Amino acid sequence: MNQQQFRVLYREFLFRMVDLEVLSAQGDIKDLLGQFGSILVYFSAMIALGVMFFNPRHMTPKAATATIWSTEHFLISTTMLVMGLFAVLSWDSTFLERRDVLVLAPLPVRPRTIFLAKAAALGAALGLTTAALNALPGITWGTLVFPAPDAGFLGPFRALAAFWFSVLAGAAFVFCSVLAVQGMAGQLPRRWYLRVSPILQIVAFCLILGTYFLEPPLSNPLAFAAPANQARLAWLPSYWFLALFHMLNGSATPGVAAVAVRGAVGLLAAALAAGTSYMLAYLRSLRKIVEEPDIVPGARGGVWLPRFGSSFHTAIVRFSIRTLLRSRQHRVILAFYLGIGFAILILLSRIGEEAHRAHVPAPVISVPLLLGSVLMLAFWVLGTRAVFGLPVELRANWVFRVIPLGGAPECLKAGRRALLVLSVVPLWLIAAAVYLWLWPWRPVVEHLLVLALLGVILCEACLQNFQKLPFTCSYLPGQSRVHMAIFGVWPLIAWTAAGVAWETSALNNPVQYAQMIAVLAAVAVAVRWNASRLAKSDEAHMYFEEETPPILQTLGLRFEPTTRS
Amino acid sequence: MLELRNVSKRYSGVTAVDHVSFQARAGEVTGYLGPNGSGKSTTMKMITGLIEMSSGEILFNGAPIHRDLIAYKQRMGYVPEEPHLYPHLSGLEYLIMVGQLRNLPEKATAERIDGLLRLLALHGDRHVPISSYSKGMRQKVLLSAALLHNPDLILLDEPFSGLDVATGLVLRSLIQELAARGKVVLFSSHELETVERVCSHVVILHHGKVVADDSIAGLRTLMSLPTLEDIFSQLAVEQDTTAVSRQIADLILA
Repeated sequence: MNQQQFRVLYREFLFRMVDLEVLSAQGDIKDLLGQFGSILVYFSAMIALGVMFFNPRHMTPKAATATIWSTEHFLISTTMLVMGLFAVLSWDSTFLERRDVLVLAPLPVRPRTIFLAKAAALGAALGLTTAALNALPGITWGTLVFPAPDAGFLGPFRALAAFWFSVLAGAAFVFCSVLAVQGMAGQLPRRWYLRVSPILQIVAFCLILGTYFLEPPLSNPLAFAAPANQARLAWLPSYWFLALFHMLNGSATPGVAAVAVRGAVGLLAAALAAGTSYMLAYLRSLRKIVEEPDIVPGARGGVWLPRFGSSFHTAIVRFSIRTLLRSRQHRVILAFYLGIGFAILILLSRIGEEAHRAHVPAPVISVPLLLGSVLMLAFWVLGTRAVFGLPVELRANWVFRVIPLGGAPECLKAGRRALLVLSVVPLWLIAAAVYLWLWPWRPVVEHLLVLALLGVILCEACLQNFQKLPFTCSYLPGQSRVHMAIFGVWPLIAWTAAGVAWETSALNNPVQYAQMIAVLAAVAVAVRWNASRLAKSDEAHMYFEEETPPILQTLGLRFEPTTRS
Repeated sequence: MLELRNVSKRYSGVTAVDHVSFQARAGEVTGYLGPNGSGKSTTMKMITGLIEMSSGEILFNGAPIHRDLIAYKQRMGYVPEEPHLYPHLSGLEYLIMVGQLRNLPEKATAERIDGLLRLLALHGDRHVPISSYSKGMRQKVLLSAALLHNPDLILLDEPFSGLDVATGLVLRSLIQELAARGKVVLFSSHELETVERVCSHVVILHHGKVVADDSIAGLRTLMSLPTLEDIFSQLAVEQDTTAVSRQIADLILA
């Protein structure tokens, strides 16, 4: 293997985990990676500081052990979740792209060198992500709390080593499993692979997220020892690696060894399957990528879509629908938002089930389910608005610039329709079908009206200062402040819960319901008016390139000497 | 008539286009020539309104284009240098979208798109995503999109790039036909033979400045040279091409 070729390719592949073509001219990949890194480090710091609140003297030994095991499991399963999401989001960059093959194939570079450089880049990304997430909790929890009680002086070192091994093993297991599935799909004819690949990607995404949020709480010695839990433990990989940690740490309890063996075997099997199928698929795809177009053949006939107002609005809404349906990158990002909303919905529906059991007779309307629909609406609208900001093909947006368009107000109207059609309307229809199946028609109709008004408010709020067309403007990392949004999630849930409590009491009181609708309608009109006002202002103009705001803000103050009388 | 008056474009101190003035009249094809980096595409982009000029004025039928850019764009068709299109749309979907963005009547546009796709031999592939189109097929889509609204001003930046021989011959005749029907056609190309056959008037750009602006026949007489290639070499090629090729061969074989 040529060392220099390997180094050049490794560095190239490592920085290509993110699609650079969506970035604005001023955009820097380091900003984007820094933002991801800061989210992980922030999360890592919060967990690490949690050790200050852990005081086993104020707890029973049983409760202290359960807290320690839960924290260990939380760290391992969260690392597996992040790694799983990373594997799914970088789905397209695990194999070579068509342009890579076209550039590298004529050069005297061995396929083995390309393969090893790609594998090394993936491995480095895996290691860096795991390290960023676990570095601080590994030090605090790993050395202060996790060591086995009778481990002695070397206990913290052993616990630290066991922790890192288990966390990396869990991360590698998820990553290899996703890679194995992708590699096996790669054995199919390329045309079939291109059809199956996006479906597998979404299924893997839902499976990883669903497992994380829905797995039963079994992280304590008693649950591991209970015969009734053995079947469940055998199918939940995060517990395999928790067991592996306790085996390596010397803190194993009855039942742990068998589960730990499953972890070791699972990791070996996943690594073997991933290595073999990935290499085979890799060598196959090197040829096939060049021989066949990198696109699924189109349907022999157009897909009918209705009109959405004027010709311009119809063009933009249809363009948005087609982009979201056909662009894998945009679909996956939206699925990420929907997945979070769906996970919260499932959690809330479980809470609802418990509440129903507690009440006899059970209430007609489930408050958690009402709350779930509102939160799901919020995540759907926010997710769709987020993907609107990512371009599909920057170099093709010249067409919107040479054709006479109606300026910022028309652009806002088109964006508004696209956002409503792609987020509020589908959620509203699904909610209508589910609620009409579960509940009597009258509260359903009342809640659907509330949901529609909330949808309008959210859309208008997301479109304040929206002076671009969906999917056409370049992306400037660092503007969205995703890491700050973490602070906003819990207040959002709390406010929504308070609002839904108000709605629940209003559903039984016509006067209160009318007041609530009047308030929501007034808010909807106000945010809509403000969005339109901003679009019609003198400063408003359509743009296709995100730009950094000026470092110096001018206040526009002028000195005008007055004449002395 | 399209008229450029002292148009300049500067990028952070570097002058890409330097006081360019010329006229492109209705009923004739104006060739816009120049070596790589001479400022041809920059001029084209300023004429389309894609980029703003640093100084000067562009007029169409006597009115500055920036006075009513929307009305001007309604009358302009543009084929860009590179065939950048939305790859996830089919050729038909793309053309329908362009028609809708231009606010053209739906039924008449559908008929026009159908006719253009048939005449340009794209009808069989109209539902196939553009990502699997060849460069020539993309060029045909761009050409259809530029002509869809029957523009008065047609700007063609390397329109023959990637086209097969038959479509190239069709396009060559089409350019002349459109000019004969009263359109203003500004045509930029490196293919001097084609320019010589198609254009009645040429503007040659070198280092961002106009070095020739005349009819081809007038230039031949003026410079006493038999072909446009000779004229172009005399005005815009600084290197001794034979010497350079010899030096390259020497460098490789050394």
